[in-house]
Amino acid sequence: MSETVKESKHLATEDFLVNMGPQHPSTHGVLYLELQIDGEVVVDCTVHLGYLHRSMEKIAESRTYTQFIPFTDRLDYIASMNNNLAYVLAVEKLLNMEVPERAKYIRIIIAELGRIGSHLLGIGTFAQDLGAFATPLFYGFRDREQIVEIFDELCGNRLTYNYMRIGGVQFDLTKELVDKTRKFVQYMRHKVDDYEWLLSGNAIFLARTKGIGVMPKEQAISYAVTGPNLRGSGVKWDLRKDEPYLGYEKFQFDVCTRENGDSWDRYKVRLDEIRQSLRIIEQAVDGLPEGDPTVKVGRVIKPAVGEAYMRAESPRGELGFYIVSDGSTNPYRLKIRSPSFSNLAVLPELVRGLKVADLVCILGSLDIIMGEIDR
Amino acid sequence: MVTLLDVIIRVLVGIAVLGFLAGSAMFLIWLERKVSAHIQNRYGPMRVGWHGVLQAVADAVKLLLKENIVPREADKLVWWLAPFFAVVPSVMAFAVVPFGKHIIVQDLNIGILYITAVTSICVLSVFMAGWGSNNKYAMLSAMRSAAQIISYEIPLTIAVVTVLMFANTLSMQGIVASQAHRWFIFHPSLALAFLIYMISATAEVNRTPFDISEAESELVAGFHTEYSGMKFAMFFIGEYTNVFIVSAIATTLFLGGWQGPLLPSPIWFLAKTYTLVFVLMWVRWTFPRVRIDQLMGFAWKVLTPIALANLAIAGLLLLK
Amino acid sequence: MIRYFSNLGRGFVSLIKGLVVTFKNIFSPIITLQYPKEKQAMTARYRGLVDLRPDRCIICYQCVRICPTGCLAISHKVQEDKKRTLERFDYTMELCCFCGLCEQVCPKSAIYMNKLYEVTAYSRDKLHIDLLNPDKYAEWSNIVVK
Repeated sequence: MSETVKESKHLATEDFLVNMGPQHPSTHGVLYLELQIDGEVVVDCTVHLGYLHRSMEKIAESRTYTQFIPFTDRLDYIASMNNNLAYVLAVEKLLNMEVPERAKYIRIIIAELGRIGSHLLGIGTFAQDLGAFATPLFYGFRDREQIVEIFDELCGNRLTYNYMRIGGVQFDLTKELVDKTRKFVQYMRHKVDDYEWLLSGNAIFLARTKGIGVMPKEQAISYAVTGPNLRGSGVKWDLRKDEPYLGYEKFQFDVCTRENGDSWDRYKVRLDEIRQSLRIIEQAVDGLPEGDPTVKVGRVIKPAVGEAYMRAESPRGELGFYIVSDGSTNPYRLKIRSPSFSNLAVLPELVRGLKVADLVCILGSLDIIMGEIDR
Repeated sequence: MVTLLDVIIRVLVGIAVLGFLAGSAMFLIWLERKVSAHIQNRYGPMRVGWHGVLQAVADAVKLLLKENIVPREADKLVWWLAPFFAVVPSVMAFAVVPFGKHIIVQDLNIGILYITAVTSICVLSVFMAGWGSNNKYAMLSAMRSAAQIISYEIPLTIAVVTVLMFANTLSMQGIVASQAHRWFIFHPSLALAFLIYMISATAEVNRTPFDISEAESELVAGFHTEYSGMKFAMFFIGEYTNVFIVSAIATTLFLGGWQGPLLPSPIWFLAKTYTLVFVLMWVRWTFPRVRIDQLMGFAWKVLTPIALANLAIAGLLLLK
Repeated sequence: MIRYFSNLGRGFVSLIKGLVVTFKNIFSPIITLQYPKEKQAMTARYRGLVDLRPDRCIICYQCVRICPTGCLAISHKVQEDKKRTLERFDYTMELCCFCGLCEQVCPKSAIYMNKLYEVTAYSRDKLHIDLLNPDKYAEWSNIVVK
């Protein structure tokens, strides 16, 4: 424990060490931050990880490719569908397999619904950390409940879906589900305006988030920050547009960016992304082709010797799976590139010189999930 | 000449007010939970009693059964007295609140000055709680809270003085009487004073958006960390009683007190007071929290200059 | 000076807008259920606990092989007429991750996932279940399935 004694002209002040320990209401998960505080101002911040490490990458080496899909659910447990999708796309890239058109459209609908659900929760917890105790969070959960109910009807579970399969999806979308999705899109369009009125222009919210945690473009790129955090700093990079997969190039949507890179911009990018996702879902539901959404893969999947890296745009950023195959049923090595890990790395830089209340605000605006970071 | 009958009536009214106070604290706790629940599209307490009205009783019983943990190196007397200093001044302020046309415990002719003096004692409880806890985070939080309360007393008092200029008297019944033909809130300058009063009152009773002392997601834990069981409950009873008192004072000063057609006067008084209480709760469940430096900046750079300017303008308006 | 007041005005209006949203919601319908008086029906595909129809099982061991956590254990006996019978079908609920892969892979739909979700036990022994016992879920089967 280091103590630095700084002397100004009249007073000698001393830093003291505060543990924002693994259990804390506003670190999103088990995150341990060691803060050096001078009065109210944070001088330094050290991040300690690993409290949620479950050695998923090692487990993958003793499971077959299909058996690992439930494990990917538990990485980013808020948007499990997107994790499933990224992993399955990586395995299909390794196998050089094409999926049917209907499966692609279904996957896009499901992935965008998962994105909306994750952003609603991110915005809700962000507002809760700032002190708008529970009300935006409850509204977020109320709207997310509709998405979760659609998923419950679709695959049978509310949080860990295990829905994507190598070569397609597990169940087909029934007509009732398509109608439910359409109704949800109409409902959500009005609700996003509610969030704008409740939070976006609110004077207190602006005072707490404007100019806090400014991440310049160069810093964001050099720390490999991705997702809404990167787009909030002015970099127009979205994997769905720049490296399209699953047929995203057929859909019309905008990439939302903001210029300043502070916490309000990151929050606003997420809110705008909800609107864009609603557009994509509407186009996909209208253009859903007929057919069978699964391709018959053998029970035993043995890719050829080789490696593949596939990255997908998850709600938090670029989620990548790097799989090395040695010709057997189990992967030789599976590496998960999680977006929250890189997003968290930039935290000590952003928080230097700000107050502790601002630290909580920045952590909320980065929208990290410890399950993804520790794996 | 004070007769025995007068004294007996006064004592009876005092006992009635204390009884009302106890019931009112329970009612306010239930109201807060129900209002917050309906804002968030859920039910709130529903099990204990009809729609959960006895929930406060259940909570009180639970808190009574909790273990009373005293911190080791704590300053015992200071630590033990702090919850009392939170509750007692608010109860004392009830002595001059005009509940109805002749229902007031004692109509002091310095009524409003008495209330301002008595509610200022609440700062002491915060500070004593922080000091007595022997916990550096509680102390930090208590200092911030004490600074907040003291800063916001200034615009509060200036707003009250603005009203007094129009009312020409310090006694509470006198202020109500001077609104006989028009409530004070309809004067433009006094409407602004009402706004300043409500904002400062929200900060005085430590409610969102000014509730950093109770913030759970901040690092420092709040001045009441080391309290458990009934002492913890006393702080919260004190807070709810404070909410009622500031609403009651706002009703008396700005909304015409117990005046109103047809219905008996206590009902009008309670209706107006509980409307203001509802507004305070509504605000609590909508807005995020203000940061401590922004809070102090707001008090000194926005509220106090505007309150002073309003005072000057009110004086000018009275000249003509 | 003008900016000071216009900022104040704009801030005030934004606060009122937030209040309007919450006020509207006071009169919106309540979306929660009062559990346990009111319970929600589980969907048709809901994945509860693993259950077995022993008469349909052909003892192919596919479910054991596909289970990611290894929570199923089967042993069988070969009788004189070359027919196989199930001896033991153990399910360790502690390890199960409720993924539904066993249900998907079974060729005869013998193993499936039922709709039980209110599962509590005072000791871990209760979580080791013998799927061949017809009363295995008797103490948990009191929910209403619509």
